[in-house]
Formats: sequence, C-alpha cells, structure tokens
Amino acid sequence: MSSLSTQVLVIGGGVTGLGIAWDAALRGLKVVLVEQSDIGQGTSGRHHGLLHSGGRYVLSDTVSAQDCASENQILRRIASHAIEDTGGLFVSTPADPVDYPDQWLNACSQLNVPAEEISLPAMLDREPLLNPRISRSFFVQDASIDSFDLSHALVKGIQERGGVVLLRHRLERFSIHKDHLVEAKIRDLTTNKSQRLSASIFINAAGPWAKNITEMAGLELPLALGKGTLVAMSNRLVNTVVNRCKPPSDGDIIVPVGTVAILGTTDTPVEEPTSLAIEPWEIDLLLAEGDLLLPGLRDCRPLRAWAGIRPLYQPAAESMSQTRALHRAHVILDHEETDGLQGFISAVGGKLTTFRLMAEETVDLICDKLEIDQKCTTSSTPLPNETGNFFSLPSRLDKLERQDHHATDDQIVCECELVMRSNLEDALENSVTGADLDDLRRDLRMGMGPCQAGFCAYRTFAISSEFSSTPTSIKGIRDFLDERWKGKRPVAWGSTLQQMEFSRRIYLDLFAASRNSEDRP
Amino acid sequence: MTHIIVIGGGLTGLFAGILAADQGAEVTITMKGRGGLALSHGCIDVLDRSAPSRALSSLSEHHPYKLAGKNNLQDAISRFRDLMQQAGYPYSGKLSKSMSLLTAMGSIKRTCFAPAGIAQGDLNSGGQIVLGRFASFRDFYPDMIQIQARKAGIKIAKIIDLPLLEPPSHRDGYPMDFALRFEDSSWLSEIIRMWRPLLPGVKRLGLPAVLGLQNHCEILEELEDSLGIEVFEIPSLPPSIPGIRIERILLRQAQALGVKIIEGAGAIGRVDGRSRGKRVSGVVLHSINRTIQFDADAVLLATGGILNGGLVAQQDHRLRESVFDLPVDYPPNRLNWVGMSLFQQQAYASTGVFVNSRMQPIGFDEKPMFNNLFAAGGLLAGSDRSFEGSRQGIDLATAHCAVYEALRLS
Repeated sequence: MSSLSTQVLVIGGGVTGLGIAWDAALRGLKVVLVEQSDIGQGTSGRHHGLLHSGGRYVLSDTVSAQDCASENQILRRIASHAIEDTGGLFVSTPADPVDYPDQWLNACSQLNVPAEEISLPAMLDREPLLNPRISRSFFVQDASIDSFDLSHALVKGIQERGGVVLLRHRLERFSIHKDHLVEAKIRDLTTNKSQRLSASIFINAAGPWAKNITEMAGLELPLALGKGTLVAMSNRLVNTVVNRCKPPSDGDIIVPVGTVAILGTTDTPVEEPTSLAIEPWEIDLLLAEGDLLLPGLRDCRPLRAWAGIRPLYQPAAESMSQTRALHRAHVILDHEETDGLQGFISAVGGKLTTFRLMAEETVDLICDKLEIDQKCTTSSTPLPNETGNFFSLPSRLDKLERQDHHATDDQIVCECELVMRSNLEDALENSVTGADLDDLRRDLRMGMGPCQAGFCAYRTFAISSEFSSTPTSIKGIRDFLDERWKGKRPVAWGSTLQQMEFSRRIYLDLFAASRNSEDRP
Repeated sequence: MTHIIVIGGGLTGLFAGILAADQGAEVTITMKGRGGLALSHGCIDVLDRSAPSRALSSLSEHHPYKLAGKNNLQDAISRFRDLMQQAGYPYSGKLSKSMSLLTAMGSIKRTCFAPAGIAQGDLNSGGQIVLGRFASFRDFYPDMIQIQARKAGIKIAKIIDLPLLEPPSHRDGYPMDFALRFEDSSWLSEIIRMWRPLLPGVKRLGLPAVLGLQNHCEILEELEDSLGIEVFEIPSLPPSIPGIRIERILLRQAQALGVKIIEGAGAIGRVDGRSRGKRVSGVVLHSINRTIQFDADAVLLATGGILNGGLVAQQDHRLRESVFDLPVDYPPNRLNWVGMSLFQQQAYASTGVFVNSRMQPIGFDEKPMFNNLFAAGGLLAGSDRSFEGSRQGIDLATAHCAVYEALRLS
C-alpha cells in the first residue's frame, strides 16, 4: 500500500471542505482533500442557488443574519463569476401575518441587513408576474449563485496553490495512536486500490455524512438531518429572488437560476444522508405556495425536482421534530476539547453563503494547533476564473447573435442552454480526469433546460467519444439519461411527462439504446 | 354514404382515413396539431424480436395485436406497403424475420419493414460498410457509430468526409435544410462530381437519412448509379425526414380520395342531447376562435397516447382520455406511473383506452361505451410500444381493424 503525508487532510468535497482546503492552501499549508464521489454531489450541489442577504434570518437567528449579510458582500467580490446579481424581494401575500413586515424591517435595520420598502407599482414594474394582492414589498441584497461554478473555482484555486484534490476516494478507516488521530486509509474507488495518508490534522467536512466520519474515529456526533425538496420550473418566471415575508417555512422562496426558477423548500427529518426520495405532497405544497407569489405558477411546467440534506448540529437536549428551527449557524468542533482526541476537527452545519467564514474559523483553529502564524486572506483574494463581471444569462445568446450564421464553424449542441460545440471541446480538453456526461452538464449546463438532454445527450456523447481514448459504452449515456429521468419522475405529469415520453421515442424507438441492445444481433 | 370522422392526423388517423375513403365512405380527418410521424424513424416496428410473427401468439389477451387479430396486421401491412409502393417509396421486409439496422448511435435496432433506402443497411446481408460524414450536419457522428458498432461486433471499414455544395448553416442546420438541397438536381450532379474521387473501393455507403424528400428514390438511384455503389440511410434525431416522407404521401393520398382534412381543430367531446342510447351522433371540435359540431355515422379516435395528447396525465393523480373521458385504468399514485429508469417498462405508457376485438372502447364492465365509436393506435391500453418495439405495427393493425368494423355498421 502506498502512503502519502500532508499537514491537513480534508474529508468532503462540498463547499465547506473546498473552502477549508482553499483557505489552508492560501496560508501556505500542505493540504489534501478527499471526496467519495464528485465535487458538489452532496448538499452543496442540491441547494436552491440563493446567496442570502441575511433577511431570512433577522428574526430567527441573528448571528446567521449578520454573517450572511457580510459574507454576501465578500462573495460578490471574490466569486463574482458565479453570482448573478438578481437582487431579492421580501413580499407579504394575503396569506402572511400582517404584523410581521414591520417587525422584520425593524430587525433588518438593527442588524444592518440592507432592506428597503418599495411601492407596489414599483414591485410590479420589476416583476410583473407577482401577485397583485401582495400588500408590502422590500428590496434586499439576495442574489443567485451557481455552486458548481463556485466549487470548480475553489478546486482550481486549491490546485494552483499546490493542494491535492482526490475525487472518487473514500475514507475507509482512521488509525489512532495514543489519543492522537494520525493516519487515514483511503480507497480509490476507480482503481480499487488503497493508500495510507498521514496528516497533522484531519478535518471532517463531510456534511450529512459527518456523523459517519466521526464514528470511524469512535466518536458520537449529534447531527440532525433534514431533507429539503426543491422544484425547478421550466421557465425563469422572475428575474429577482422572491421571498415570503413571514417566519421561515415550507415553500417560502423562488430563486431565478439560469434559465429556470427554483422553488424551495420543504423540511422533513430523515435518518440517512441518502434518504432523498421525494413524496408527491412535497411537490404539491411547493407549487401551491409558489402560486401565492406568482398566480398561475401551479399550471406552469415543472422541469425536475430533487432533494438535499441539511446537516444540523443538535446537542442532546433539542428535539428531532423540527430541523429548520434548529440553530442554523455552523459549528467547529475541536475533538481534542470535546472528546480528548487530538488532530481531529469537525466542521458541521452552515450554509453555502457562509462557507468562507466557516472555513476561516476552521483554518484559524488549525493554525492555532499547528502554531502557524498566518492570517486568513480569503476575503480579499478573488477566486480563479474570476472575470470581474457578474454572470449574466443572455451572454451566450448575445455572443451567438453577434456572429454571422454562416461565417461560424461552431455548432449548437444544446439548444436549451445554448451550449456550443467549442464550449464542449474546451471542457473536454481542460478536463484532467476525463469528463463524463455529468461533469459536462455541471460545467456547461448542457442538458439542464426544458428537453432535459433529449437531444444534446446524443450529440454530447458523440463528441466526447471523439475525444476520449477509452470511449464509454452506451451504458454511459443510459446512466446519464436515467439521472435526468429520476429528477423528472416526481413531476411527471402534463407536458413534463410528454417530454419524458419523447426522450423514450429517441433513445428506445430510434436509437435502440436499451439494456439488451449490446448483445445483438 | 357512411360519414366517418377520424380524430387525429398521425400514422393511425391518416392510414384509417385512406382505408375508409377507399371503401367509399365519406371521411373527415380532424387534427389539433400535427401527428407524430415527424418524430418517428420511418420504419414499421412490429415487435422487437428476431421472428415477430411467431412471437405474436405469446402476447397477452389484452394486447392490441391479440384484439385486432393477425389477419388485420397482415392486411394492414400489405395495404400500407401498396400505398407506399404506388407513391414511389417502396418498403421491404417481412413479418417472419426482423432486419437489423445500424442506428445513428451505433447500436443495432431490429425492425420489420423499412423504406428501401434504409433497408439496404440491413446488417444480415450486404457488403462492408463505409460511413459518410457531412461536416455541417450535427446529428450524425460516424466516429461514435464506428466505436459502438465495433462493441456490437459490426465493423465499419472507413469514414469519409463528404463535401456539400453551399451546405446549410453549420451552426444549426436541420435535417429538412439538407433534404431540400438533395431535391435540387443540378446541386445533386455537382455533389456527385465532388464525391466520385473520394469513394474508390467503397461498395456500401451509409449516410444520414436526409437524402431528399419527395423524390428520395430517384435521388438514391441517381447516387447509386452515378457512383457505382450501394447507398443506405440511417435515421437520426427528429424532425425525421423518413417520417415526414410517409406523412406527405399519406396526406396526398387522402386528399386524392376526397378526404376532408381539418387542421388546427381539436375534438373536445361528443355532440350532446342528440346521442340516442349507445350511439355518438357527432363530435364537437374546438379551434382557435370557435366551436363547431360535426355529425357522423361513426367516430374513430386516433389521438395517440401521452406524447400526442390522446391521454392527459394530471397533477391530481388522474390520467384521462382527452376527448370523451373514456375509462382508463392506471396506478392511483402518480409517482407509480413512471419507473426509476427511462429504459424500463412504464405504467403510463402501457395504459390507455380499453377496446374489444372490434376496437370499440369498453367500460370496466367490458361492454362497448358506444356502438359507433372506435379507437386505434397509441391511445389503446395493453402495450408499452417503445419497450416492446411495436409502435407502427399496432397503429396500422388497429386502424385497419377499426375501419372495417366501422364500415360494417352500415
């Protein structure tokens, strides 16, 4: 078995783990990050895409509210390429408590969370589809953020600073020597080979799996898991994030992300990080709540639904029944202090908006332990890929429209998201590990529009097989299409089901890509 | 003269309309949008087995083939082939043995009947295959076909880049843009002149299925004769040129037989008040600005399944037949309509309207809902057509059965 040694080993490739590794690398620490599947496959890649203004928490969790407000401004500076500056509204519908807006506005001003009341005509001017019976409306600094763009920039940053990111590597066990965590055994899930990794400090940033990681070190972690279901609608519907002005509850937000609008979320306590099954009532509830904000929304076409798991630190006394009511801020657990085990820290909870702050606090603790005097610089260091501009939706169309139809050699591969063949070729050339269809989807948004890869899965599969020395079999495209299929299954009625049936016409009737097609003729 | 209203303008509705008109009936075909032919591959899938006719007997009693009977299938196919032959677009194949076609993904597809240009690609016969590539066509990738075909044991000898004169937009050229270029005879002669030096030693050339629209057979012949090679077509992503060729031939034939065609008008129900006992006296059509009643002696529903709007799946867990609200059986929780994989059998795709062996929609008591109402094609329950590879065979067989039963009424 080969072995490797580093100063910091981070377990988990979500924004928490990546943020910690990025911060540590910036401070000159030697860092290795292991992720059991792929970047942002857990909670980070399953959120609604909201960069919080802090407004959501001003009455329920003042610490989170203030953290969000300040981190919001920092991320706009360091990760602007991943952010679309949509702005946000908090609106009071006829179903919401009438005394809440004044309390809320008061709390915003006390906590320095920018919020400004706007007139209803001004609100409707900005978002004409909003319910005309809304009684009050406030503008806040919400934005939408692409967690994949953010994560990829973090990976790039870590690698540029000499850090190592190991994907599809699973932690198998820890070795403890005299109350000191000294070594981890890691299995490469691609080659099935194991290696030993020794480190001065091990960071558990495994999100909903954090409990499984502490168990490997023989420790208990009081972690409550809450499943949140989200629905992407096939149109953008709004250009501004829209929140219900009421205490946090199910279905209280619509976030415009790229070409779609995301309805969030429900909250159900679950036992396992893999409990992601979606019930019809969750979808019905999100559509009905969304309909209060945008009348007629329930008749619009849902594109797909998915669920993410909120991991929340829950010390013994608190109840399991309402995970949303738990303190939502992050916790950094020094296991030397709590359990007498040295060299092991768990970074638990938190939200995407405050990932940088959570990383800063974690790496401050690491530096303390290692007696290294290095200040955090992440708040002033732009991430790689930074173009200096906010992401804007029509940029692809704008670029395309400026070209002459016949002058260009480029081809549209994905009509829904306007992905060009050159985008695909660049992504394939830049991919180190050999991009599969799902990587290309996350990089380019290919297959994420209304046809959900019906057309472009075929084209992308074909173009990528021209690039690969070991082209995948038809099973590769089947697996990809099945992932898209599963996301549509909870919203499979009306035109969504028609679209699904259309995909079957293409991949079964036309391309005969079914399971038994390989053992013919 | 019997007046039959056919609701639906896909393969089932157009074929049924032609059969009925040919038997002397007065026929009206009404269509809300456009039928599904432009989404198809242009072949007649009967059953995805090596010997479809033998496998028919093992199907369940409620399968549309079982209800319509083997004679209707055989007669329907021979009528369909006659129609295509007369229009100069002949089909080959047989019911007793499937042909194996290379798909545009490099997998192998079995089908029963295909237009001659596609059937020439049958992997069970013929010489070594070379594939041609049009640089500006984005729905055909010979490299991938070669790689995947090799995994299935099929050797593609070579890939040749074939230039086109003034090709359609490289950015987003659609199959129709290419097909119409081939219809231009001087363009075609120029292409042949450009291709000739590129094809030494080639005997059998596979190209995307865009080789012309209404003069396809002449174009194919011209290519083959001038180049001295065999050429076959491989269908790819919709809009499908082979599907559109069928659609145009059927529409033209229907018009020639005096069938009245109403476009842009969807049927929304039967004529109320005048329905006596178990008869439908007509249908109500709805178009953009008005609602019209049409009287008829018989009504044939050919509105298709979920994709084409004959069946409507709703958020409230109901799955309805869209025109007459005929009984449909389906899992009560909408989550169970769809399986976990695209490639498995689907409950929503297997359900639909129940009919008896005369193609009359029946209730849960198995009695006909109306004596003069018939249903055919994708709307019928009893088969997941994509899963078992039987779509066009069912359309033709049940349309044939329904038309002759409707005509027997009078």
